[in-house]
Parts: sequence; structure tokens; C-alpha cells
Amino acid sequence: MPSRAQCEAVLRQLWPFLDGMISETEREAILVHFEQCADCESHFDFAKAFLEAVAEAKPYLEVEGEMAEKVRTALEEAGFRAA
Amino acid sequence: MTPSPTDDLPQRNERDETFAAIALPHLSTIARVATALTGDVADTEDLVQETFLRAYRHWHTFQQGSDCKSWLATICRHTFAELRRRENRAVVVDDQELESLAAARLHNTARAKGVDDMFARLDLGPAIAKAIRALEPHYRDVVLLVDVDGFSYEEVATSLDIPVGTVRSRLYRARRHLQESLLNYAIDAGFAAPSYVLPSPPPPPPTSTERRNA
Repeated sequence: MPSRAQCEAVLRQLWPFLDGMISETEREAILVHFEQCADCESHFDFAKAFLEAVAEAKPYLEVEGEMAEKVRTALEEAGFRAA
Repeated sequence: MTPSPTDDLPQRNERDETFAAIALPHLSTIARVATALTGDVADTEDLVQETFLRAYRHWHTFQQGSDCKSWLATICRHTFAELRRRENRAVVVDDQELESLAAARLHNTARAKGVDDMFARLDLGPAIAKAIRALEPHYRDVVLLVDVDGFSYEEVATSLDIPVGTVRSRLYRARRHLQESLLNYAIDAGFAAPSYVLPSPPPPPPTSTERRNA
């Protein structure tokens, strides 16, 4: 059973781990920790699901049609012709 | 350079078609880059328009198959640098590791409230979009560029002319604010899983009088 200090050290790397911003050695150490600590792994899974949900929200964050129309008009004035 | 009537028409049509297919789909992404740079709606529109005009005029320099999103973001940044002198924003330095710990604590809260499976169980797209829009601009911009549009820390740092560490700090803080918002949303909306609904309290143990009379 990992100590609380070991868990805390792993949890401090949660975002860097999920963003791929840690070394391969650090990554492997965290994966080994997960084999002994399902609770820490569940925290990472929760954060990963959060990031996936944010990425999937992209269609709700598209710019309004007005700006797209302005850009298209300006491009057409510059000679752009496309369907 | 505006095309002249002597341009080869089929070639121009092909160029325009590829521009429409490859560059224009990134309009929303570039609008977010521009918003992050200008922080102003009117300036954003001008910057986006100028970015796409320049991209169109220099479309022949774009290497087909390379990353168009990054190419457009670079044009946007260079255009902004030409148009405006940037305001130096204060650097927010947070303890990034503490933000990671905060994310784990927030998961504990979600678990206690019965909504720790909310991302799998609920369509949170509209709520996420609303929560992102409600963030302070310097947090909102970074989370949009990294977590929604998929730019790297380095690309955002270069685009916004801020240190990578600042990108990271703002991103982690933004994620925490978002997670808190979504957690509150899920709880307020009554999305706690049925198994977490507290059962009726068990009947009290019999009193000594009842036991004697039994």
C-alpha cells in the first residue's frame, strides 16, 4: 500500500502527466503507482474525462455567423471565389 | 495581391477551393487566437479579417499537408504585432503542483456528491461552453487555445508572447475553475446518481420499554 506522501507526489503530477509534459521515467513511475493505488488512478481518470469533455465542447464554441460572413466578404473583395 | 483578370482561371479556382477547404475551417480557432491577443471584440474582428486576407494572398506559400492552424496563428500573431503595441500583462505565478492536487480534491468532492461519473453520463457541452465564456479573459483564452483548439503550451506562449510557465499556470487555474463550475452545475441540476440518493433512515432501535413488551 503506497504511503500518503507517495500518493501526493503522484497527484502533483496529474496535469503534467495528462498533458504529456513529464519524462518517460516519471510517467512509468506513475503507471507503476497505479498498479498499487486505484484511488490515485481514479483521480487521473476523472481529470482525463474532464479534458475530453472540454475538447468535445468545441462545437458549442464556434464563432457566430456574422464574423464568418465579414471574413468571406473581405476575401471576395480580394478576388476569392469558392462555393 | 488581388488577382487580375488575366489570372489563369482554373488555377485560381483550384487555389480558392483549397483555401476554402483547408484554411476557412479554422476561422473559429483563429478568432480565439485573435481574442486572446486583442481582448476586444471589434479589434478581434479586424484582426481575424486581416489574418485571412493575408493568408489568402500568401496561400501559395502554404505548404500543403503542413499544419494550417499553426500557419494561420502565426500570421495572426505577426499581423497583431504590426497593428498594435501589446500591453504587457502581469504574470500570474501559481503553484502548478498544487493545482494538480486541487483537481484530485475536487474529484473527491464529486465522488461524495455522487457526480463523479458526470463526464461519462451527461452531455455537458453547453454547460462547458457557458463556463468557459464566464472565465476571466486570460484564463479563458488559454484553456480555449490548449484544451479546445489543441495548441501546445509552446505555441500559445509564442502566440501570446508570454512565458510557457505562465501558460501552464493559467491553464491549470482555468481547469480548476471550470471543474468547480461543472461540479456545481451537475449538483444543482440534480444529476447525482440514484445510488447516491440517501435511503430512508432505518427505524430507530427499540427502546428498552419496547424490548420488554416484545
